Amino acid sequence: MMKAADEVMDICLLAGEIMLTYGAETYRVEETLERMARAAGFTNVHCFATTTGIFLSFEEKKGKEDLMQMVRVDDRMQDLNKVTEVNQVSREFTAGELTVEEADARLKKIHKAPIHYPIWLIHLAAGVAGSGFSYLFGGGLQDLLPAYIAAVMASVTLVEFERYLKVRFAAELAAAFVGGSVAIFLVFIGLGLSLDQIIIGSLMPLVPGVPLTNAVRDLLSGDLLAGMSRGVEALLTSLSIASGIALSISFFL
Amino acid sequence: MDLFIELIITFCAIIGFGVIFSVPKRALLLGGGIGVITWFVLQTGINMGTSTVFATVIASLTAATIAHLLAKKIRIPVTTLSIPGILPLVPGSRAYFTMLSFVDGDYLQGLEYGVETMLQAGAIAAGLVLALSIFSFGKGIGNRYETGH
Repeated sequence: MMKAADEVMDICLLAGEIMLTYGAETYRVEETLERMARAAGFTNVHCFATTTGIFLSFEEKKGKEDLMQMVRVDDRMQDLNKVTEVNQVSREFTAGELTVEEADARLKKIHKAPIHYPIWLIHLAAGVAGSGFSYLFGGGLQDLLPAYIAAVMASVTLVEFERYLKVRFAAELAAAFVGGSVAIFLVFIGLGLSLDQIIIGSLMPLVPGVPLTNAVRDLLSGDLLAGMSRGVEALLTSLSIASGIALSISFFL
Repeated sequence: MDLFIELIITFCAIIGFGVIFSVPKRALLLGGGIGVITWFVLQTGINMGTSTVFATVIASLTAATIAHLLAKKIRIPVTTLSIPGILPLVPGSRAYFTMLSFVDGDYLQGLEYGVETMLQAGAIAAGLVLALSIFSFGKGIGNRYETGH
């Protein structure tokens, strides 16, 4: 049954690709893929994943050549809902509740699904998060509104720049620049008092929380390569945010 | 009373972050709750006179422990809960002042803020690591000697 092995390889790699793209830890990808391949009845299962690619190899039966494939993962986004759903599919597949075809259909559906929350809700949520953190970092109640506006503007800039330019670090830099400029403008016209807190709040939604946490987890579980590269990714994001805000401060203050 | 307002605002802000990271709906409120506990532990620690870094370690450990327990219970990846949990600890303010000092050309002050930022980030990582070690007892993670056989 050569076909079955090929199909199992496909669903495993699809599951891994979705998880890695949308922000799962490397160890989780490796563990999930190995479990799924073992549950399908293959032996000698090995999986190696880094932040940008997955290798998977297994043996269909003794004496036959091993199958080995890889996928390259270019995009890294944050959609933890997809990670959770793939996790659920792999759990059911491992428990034998799903056939290969059913798992394939569900994974393809997850892969094609749009982002879990509508984009306008994400902008509004960015505003709530930004204004909340501007208060927690020491701003007053009168700073909530300007921080909200600045954070929403930063979030809109991030999404729109990424849509048209498709360069992530440029989009982050632009978002930080817009967030900072709007905050400075709002304080200039008298809306809000503590400029520093408003700027910090408006930038908080850009913080690379997912890669940072995953970097720690990956380094600890021995995936040194993946951990380092995720850490550097988070660092790059932080640097582009810092340069964006530094740019707006040097321009307008 | 101030703390009470802060806790409510933390809850809303963390749920906002949950939406940004597309945390599934059933974990949103739980994540917000963990964030509130984290902020409460951090503030209580600071009010009791401990250093910020130590309070951060304790708060991060608390958040990660609760996240691990809940994630096992409702069967979702632990990151969906631990990321909202540790967000209130992110040293955004320090990082901003680091950058501001460097822009102003005040390098010594910038280094001071920078070191504080690094320490606080390290403290968050330490809390996560401690909780992870506790929940990996017996399963094994990063062994140094082959004591198993």
